[in-house]
Amino acid sequence: MIRRPAARRLYYAALLFLAILGAAAIAAPLVAPYSPTEQHLDRRLAPPSRTHLLGTDNLGRDLLSRTIYGSRSALLVGIVSVAISALLGSLVGLVAALSSPSLDNLLMLVMDSLLSFPTVLLAITVVSFLGYGLVQVMIAVGVIYAPTFARLVRAETLALKNEGYVEASQALGTPQVLVVFRHILPNLLGKVVVQCSITFALTVVIEASLSYLGLGAQPPTPSWGLMLKDARDYLVQAPWMALYPGLALAFTVLCFNILGDSLSERLNPKL
Amino acid sequence: MRRTFLLALAAGLLIAGLAGAAPKPLTWALSGNPDSLDPQKTAGTLTFQTVRSLYDTLVEPDAKGQIVGALAERWQTSADNLTWTFTLRKGVKFHNGDALTSADVRASFERIKNKEFASPKASEYAAITSIETPDPSTVVFKLAKPFSPLLAALASGWGAILPKSLIDSGHDFSSKPVGTGPFVFKEWVRDNRIVLAKNPDYWLKGLPKFDSLIFQIIPERAVQVQGLIAGQIDGSDIIDQEDVPMLEASGKVNIDRPLTAQIFVLAMNCSKPPLNDLRVRQAVNHAIDKQAVLDVAYGGGKPVGTFMNYGNAYYRDFTSLYPYDPAKARSLLAQAGVGKDTVLEMVLPANYPPHVKAGEMYQEMLSKVGLNVQIKLVDWPTWLKDVYTAAKYDFTAIAHTGKLDPDGTLSGYGTEKRYVRWINATAADYIAKGAGAVGEENRKKLYDQAMMIMAREVPFVFTGTSYRRVVTNKRVKGFRMDPILDTYDFRHTELQ
Repeated sequence: MIRRPAARRLYYAALLFLAILGAAAIAAPLVAPYSPTEQHLDRRLAPPSRTHLLGTDNLGRDLLSRTIYGSRSALLVGIVSVAISALLGSLVGLVAALSSPSLDNLLMLVMDSLLSFPTVLLAITVVSFLGYGLVQVMIAVGVIYAPTFARLVRAETLALKNEGYVEASQALGTPQVLVVFRHILPNLLGKVVVQCSITFALTVVIEASLSYLGLGAQPPTPSWGLMLKDARDYLVQAPWMALYPGLALAFTVLCFNILGDSLSERLNPKL
Repeated sequence: MRRTFLLALAAGLLIAGLAGAAPKPLTWALSGNPDSLDPQKTAGTLTFQTVRSLYDTLVEPDAKGQIVGALAERWQTSADNLTWTFTLRKGVKFHNGDALTSADVRASFERIKNKEFASPKASEYAAITSIETPDPSTVVFKLAKPFSPLLAALASGWGAILPKSLIDSGHDFSSKPVGTGPFVFKEWVRDNRIVLAKNPDYWLKGLPKFDSLIFQIIPERAVQVQGLIAGQIDGSDIIDQEDVPMLEASGKVNIDRPLTAQIFVLAMNCSKPPLNDLRVRQAVNHAIDKQAVLDVAYGGGKPVGTFMNYGNAYYRDFTSLYPYDPAKARSLLAQAGVGKDTVLEMVLPANYPPHVKAGEMYQEMLSKVGLNVQIKLVDWPTWLKDVYTAAKYDFTAIAHTGKLDPDGTLSGYGTEKRYVRWINATAADYIAKGAGAVGEENRKKLYDQAMMIMAREVPFVFTGTSYRRVVTNKRVKGFRMDPILDTYDFRHTELQ
């Protein structure tokens, strides 16, 4: 339970923002005033006005529509890659914690060596290998963040393994699989959910970075990173091109971080 | 304490004042690091833009693109066009002090023709079978068959003359160039700047007219614009239409808008269905508003209608063949039976933002007539390998740089050698005959035929030739950019 009221208000504000973002992403065709790829060549680099609330970009595309559709790329990459890293990482962590010490060492060696690479560099390497595109980004980011989950789950499992109720259950002859599902996984869930929220923020940034570098979303797919890349040449002439996707990106990441912090306070009974 | 500060301030002002008295070097913005400064070992424009001030060629293009003498005072060809004799200018010196002789010319062309040296431009000199040097100021090229494009190859940047003594000693020309040019190489700080100083012994007496030339390497266009406004750089040639109002408002620069010699195209892979069907290629041509693409993506220009740059002596107007007509495009696609279920891939070079922007416009225009086109960005080496060499693509947006000779533009088209994989034996035959023909009138007749077939069969959407914006600080007078080779000529430039 969060005791400080300011923190609680922040938590609800973040939840509200993310709920609106999620709703906008799902209902994008209904909410967006224009198609995100339609070019109005007579209205290029138009400043925010009544026809284009956030202005237009260098090809006359409506920035509000592109920002709304851009949330789809961001959230999709977030959900899929977090799912990949959480599943993959948890599996590796569980196996490592419950198997023989030699397999444990081997698995954690692989995970640690993955962790030792700078994240963006590793992402670029994986994407260069698989080819450019959003699907490739999801796989790359999913694999890159798996070690974080693996370490977390392994450490927690090692601790849980020695808890009285787990040992008691094992002593009664419960099969290992059942022990994992009945006693270990439910106790891990809180920590993993918190880690998911924090990782989500990181994946949104990585998606934007890779798209900014031209390795992620392919044009004309609306993606915040790609919009920032387009905006780079027009920072002085049309600052709104960079401002709105930039704000959307910053707020999304901030909200996921707030959510992660609050969740860790709520779900961790020790605090 | 306070006094020390004032003293330091006064000293600082004095030093600043003294520095202001020395002439400020001319600083030109270069949009990237050249891969090498060896003119015979690269095909990169950035290299030739830099080494134009370090080397000379036997002949060179003048402001109108006519080829005139440079290191060679005059030349003549024999009646059968198999022997070309060049007479060298007297009193020309290399930067290392060597006097220019026919032996240097021979050594330079033997270097570029040498198979082990593997110059990307070696094939342009393949017609030369032997080089003779009867005396120090005479060079004789012997050819196997008449080959008119040779003169253009001698006038291009890769026809630079290097000193024989340094070629023999294995000098590293790629990082320490030594030539006969108007400026002498001083230093190259990779990814930062290249510094040149005036060559006091240049063979054009009284030139160049200023002492120090710096190429500042600035990849970001927005940074170049700010540098021009602040007066930190004196010139750039990659300025966009969108930057113009801001630059004009600064009151510090002159903006010139000459036509380039480039041909901007949407290339189509004619060996793959459905683009092997002429009707589909015609539909694509009708679907594209070429002037709009030129204006928005490439900063304005002239549509061309065939594979030759606007303003070239060999250019002929075929723009009326495929006007912008989306309705006609749709009916042609219906005849050919191509619908939304056919997915076509447009591969674009990610490192060239104008081509990516043009690609997004092409895609939108094609989707309006019912073609399903997916964009794929690739890096430059991948583009060269997959698109330009292996032809693994459906569409690509690119520009072909200007050539001094029409053969440079057209050679290889009509055969499977070129990346559009457009096969037409008649056109290929006209193009091959054009290289062997002598005299502009005779060659024109042959190239006219070839260009007409290309204009009708449309292996490309011939989008057009663009303008470029050359922006210089008001203190710079007499700067010239070669319209065809895209190189910088600072020889007549003055600083005020």
